[in-house]
Amino acid sequence: MAKDPEHVHMEHDHMTIPKYLGVFAVLVVGTILTYWVATIDLDFIFPGANTLVALLIAFTKMACVMLFFMHVYWSPKLIWLAVVASFFWMAIMFAFTMADYFTRATGVFTT
Amino acid sequence: MQSADVIGSGFSETPKLNYLTNGTTLKSWLLTKDHKRIAIMYLISVSVFFLMGGIYAATIRLELLTPASDLLETGTYNKVFTQHGILMIFFFLIPSIPAVLGNFLLPIMIGAKDLALPRINLLSLYLYWLGGAIALYGLMQGGVDTGWTFYTPYSTTFSNSYVLAVGVGIFINGFSSILTGLNFIVTIHTMRAPGMTWFRLPLFVWAMYAVSLVMILGTPVVAITVLLVAIERVARVGIFDPAIGGDPILFQHMFWFYSHPAVYIMVLPGMGVVSELISNFSRKKIFGYEFIAFSSIAIAVFGFLVWGHHMFVSGQSIYASMVFSFLTMVVAIPSAIKMFNWTATLYKGSIDFSTPMLYGLGFMGLFLIGGLTGLYLGAIGLTVHLTDTYYVVSHFHYVMVGGQVVAYLGGLHYWWPKMTGKMYSEFWGKTSAMLVFVGFNLTFFPQLILGYMGMPRRYAAYPPEMQVLNIFSTAGASVLGIGMLMPVVYLLHSLVYGKPAGDNPWRLPGLEWRTSSPPPTENFEKMPVVTWEAYEFGEDNGLDLEEDRRRDLAPVG
Amino acid sequence: MSAHASDKFVYHEPGLQHQFEDMKQQEESVSIGMWLFLAQEIMFFGGLFTAYLVYRSRYPMAFAAASNHLDAFWGGLNTLVLIVSSLTMALTVYYAQKSNRNMQVIMIILTMIFGAVFLGVKGIEYTDKYHHGLVPMAGLNQRVKADKNAHHETEKPCWEVDRNAPPAVHPNPRGEFLWTDCSLAKLAQDENILTPSERFGYYSGGQIDIEKFKGIVRIFYYLYFVMTGLHALHMIIGLGLMTWLLWTAWKGNYNSEYYMPVEMSGLYWHFVDIVWIFLFPLLYLLGRHFNH
Ligand SMILES: [Cu+2]
Repeated sequence: MAKDPEHVHMEHDHMTIPKYLGVFAVLVVGTILTYWVATIDLDFIFPGANTLVALLIAFTKMACVMLFFMHVYWSPKLIWLAVVASFFWMAIMFAFTMADYFTRATGVFTT
Repeated sequence: MQSADVIGSGFSETPKLNYLTNGTTLKSWLLTKDHKRIAIMYLISVSVFFLMGGIYAATIRLELLTPASDLLETGTYNKVFTQHGILMIFFFLIPSIPAVLGNFLLPIMIGAKDLALPRINLLSLYLYWLGGAIALYGLMQGGVDTGWTFYTPYSTTFSNSYVLAVGVGIFINGFSSILTGLNFIVTIHTMRAPGMTWFRLPLFVWAMYAVSLVMILGTPVVAITVLLVAIERVARVGIFDPAIGGDPILFQHMFWFYSHPAVYIMVLPGMGVVSELISNFSRKKIFGYEFIAFSSIAIAVFGFLVWGHHMFVSGQSIYASMVFSFLTMVVAIPSAIKMFNWTATLYKGSIDFSTPMLYGLGFMGLFLIGGLTGLYLGAIGLTVHLTDTYYVVSHFHYVMVGGQVVAYLGGLHYWWPKMTGKMYSEFWGKTSAMLVFVGFNLTFFPQLILGYMGMPRRYAAYPPEMQVLNIFSTAGASVLGIGMLMPVVYLLHSLVYGKPAGDNPWRLPGLEWRTSSPPPTENFEKMPVVTWEAYEFGEDNGLDLEEDRRRDLAPVG
Repeated sequence: MSAHASDKFVYHEPGLQHQFEDMKQQEESVSIGMWLFLAQEIMFFGGLFTAYLVYRSRYPMAFAAASNHLDAFWGGLNTLVLIVSSLTMALTVYYAQKSNRNMQVIMIILTMIFGAVFLGVKGIEYTDKYHHGLVPMAGLNQRVKADKNAHHETEKPCWEVDRNAPPAVHPNPRGEFLWTDCSLAKLAQDENILTPSERFGYYSGGQIDIEKFKGIVRIFYYLYFVMTGLHALHMIIGLGLMTWLLWTAWKGNYNSEYYMPVEMSGLYWHFVDIVWIFLFPLLYLLGRHFNH
C-alpha cells in the first residue's frame, strides 16, 4: 500500500519550541509558588487552606503537562474520556472510603 | 440471498491450513501471537487450575460429611478452603471466560484478524503462568490459611503461612488480567470490520467491553493492596497494623474496592455468553438489545459503588453502610433487566434444546437464585444474622458456579465446534448439563438452609443436628463433580473421534459462523463486510427457518 | 486475493503490524492502549493516595510533624529536575516529528541525565533518613551505640522542643525507628483543633503519649517510602525505556512518518512526572506553615 499523502499525524505542528518553553515556565513558576506558599500559614482563611492551595497548583501543573506535553488537547474524545474516567474512578474510591471515615463514631471510647 | 454462500453449509471440508495446523512445533505455540492459540493455551491452563480447585472443594465437602473435624485438622481445613478460594477465583473464574472464550472469539466476532496488541496478549498469558507458578510454589511450600480475602492483621502479622508467595502470585496475575482487558477495549474500538457498528456487536462483545473496564479500573487497586500486605509482612510494620495506629478496615476498603467488582468480572462474561445462547437457540432476535448492552456497562459502573456491603459488621460506619446497602439494591436493577429481556426473548421463540442452551437456561435459573439471595445479604439488618454463615457461601456459589461456571461450560460447548472443528456427543452433552444443574442445586440449596439456621462458614466442625443437610450437600457435590468431569472426557474424545462440525453447525448469523471451523490464522479469507444487524434470522440472511426444519427431519450424513 | 498465505510478500509500510490495515489504525490502537495503561497506573497509585488521604485526614498533626522532617529543598529541586526532564522528553517527540535524528538523540540523553539526577537526589534523601532513624522498618536504620559518658538529660515532656538546639544524637543500638517530638500535637491541643481520631490516637490517660504519636509518624514514613519507592521504580523502568529509545533513535528509526514508540515512551515519562507533581506537596510541604 502506498503512503497516503492525506495522512496527517494528529500532533503535528500544534506545538512549537516557544510554546513548549512557555509551558515549562508555567511549571517552574508553579513549583516555586507552591514551595513559597507552603511556608505561609493560611489557616486564618479556613483550616486546611494550605492543602487546598497546594492541590490547586498541583492540578494546574498536571493539566499543563497533560494538555500540552502529552498532547491531550489535540487528542480524540476517547483519550479525554480515558483520562476523565480514571480520575473519576479514583474520586469514587476516595469519596466512598472517606464516607466511612468521616461518619465513624471515632472518639466514642475515649475518656 | 447474496450472503447465503458466505454462511457455511455444514458440509464443507476442513480447510487445509487452519490456526491449529499452521505450525505444529512447541515453539510455534509458545511464541505465537495468534489470539486463538493463546486462547487454547489459556483453556488448558485454567482447566488445570479448575481441577486443582475442584479437588480442594471435594476435600471440603468430604470433611463436612460428618459433624466432627475428623478428616482434616482445623488448621489444615483453613488452608484447604483458602486454597480452594484462591485457585478458583484468581486463577480460574477471573481469566476463564475473558481469556479463553473472549480471546478466541472477540476478534472473530468483530471481523478482525487478531487482537489489536497480540504481543501484549502473549505477555498477559506469560504473566498468568508466572503468577500461577509463584502461587503454586506458595501452596507447595505449605499453603495459606488466611481465607482468600487476606484480611489484616491476621495476614500481615499473625498468619504463619506462605502469604508472601501467594500474594506475589496474585499481584503478577493481576497484571495479566489488566493487560487482557486493555487489549479488548483497544480491539473493540479500533478493529471492527467495515459495517460492524457498535449496535451490531454481539452482546458477548459488549459484555467483554464492560468486564474490561472493571479489569482496568479495579485490578490495579487490589494489586497495590496485596503489595502493601506483602511489604507489611516483610517489614513487620505497615499501615494496616493497629499496633502503630493503622486501620485494618482500610485494607478491607481497598480489597473490596476491587473484589466486589471482581464478582462482575466473573459474572458479566457469563451474562454475555448467555445472551448469545438465549437469542441464538431461540432462533429469535434478542429482545431489548440496547438494554442488555447498556445494562452491562451499568453493572460495570455501579458495581464500583457497593463494595461496603462486605463490611457491614466489620466496624464500618453505619451511615456508610446505609449508602452501600441502598446502592447494592440499585445494582440489582441492570441484572434484572437482563433476566427480563432473556425471558422475553424465549417467549414465542423456536427453542432448540441443545447442550449449550441447556446450560444457558440453567444459568438463568441459578443466577436468579444467586441474585435474589444477594438482595437479602445486601439488606443491612438481615445481614447481621446471615454474615459469615453458609448462606453467604451458598449465595456466591450460586452466582459464581451457577452463574459463571455454567455459562462458561455453555459457551465452551457452543463454540467447541468452531474452536476445534469437531462435534461432541450431544447425548453426553445434555446428560452432563442436566447433572450439573441437578447436582449444583442439591449441593448448594441445603447450604442456604444451613446458613439460615446459623451454620458458620470456615469451620471444620458443626453441630450434629445439621448433618442431614450436609450429607445432601456432599451428595450433590459428587453429582456436580461427575457432571463437570464428563465434559473433559467427551470433549477430548470428540477431538479424535468427533464428527466434523462444519463451519456453521448451529446455523446462526454471527460473524464467527461465517468462517471455517477451525478458523484460519487470520480468521477470514477476506475482510468481512457486515450488512446485517445482530441476531438477524431470516431468509435475507441466508438463514431460513423452514429450511432448518426440513434439514432437522432429514437424516444427517 | 487471498491475503493470508502470501502475507509475507505483500508490501507493508515499515513498522506496520500484520493485524492492522493501515498506519492510522495502528497508531490509534497503540495510543488508546497506552492511555488505558496510564488509567491503570492512576488507579494503582490511587490506592496509595487513598491510604494517604485516610491517615492524613485522621491524624493531620502527626503527618505535619513527620513531613517537616523531610527536606523540602531536595524535594523541590527534584520537582524542578523532573519538569526539565519532561520538557526534554516533549522536545524528543517534537524532534522526532521533525525527523531530526541528532536532536532526538541529544534530548533523550538529556532526559536520561535528569532522570538519573532525580534518582541520585532520592538516594541522598533516603540515606539521610537512614541516619536519622526515620526508616519505618525496624533494624534498617543506622545503629548508634549508647554513649555511657553522656550526661543524662533531664526528662522533658515530648512537646518541649528547642528548635535552635543542635540535633541530638540518640542512641539507637538496634536501628529502631526514632521519634521524640510531639510539639505539634500539643499545639493542636492548645488551639483546640484536634480531630476526634487524634484525641483517641495520640493520648493515653489524658496525656500525650509519644509512643502513640510515633506510631502515626511511622505510618507517614511508611507511606513516604512506599510511594516514593514505587515512583522511583517507575523512574528506573522509564530509564530502561529511554535506553532502548536512545538505541533505536540512534539507528534513525524515527521520523515524521513513524514516531509512535517515542511518543508512547513520552506519555509514560510525563505520567511519572505527574505522580511526582502530587507527591511533592503532599509529602514535603504539608506542615511547613507550622514552622513560622
Ligand atoms: Cu459484593
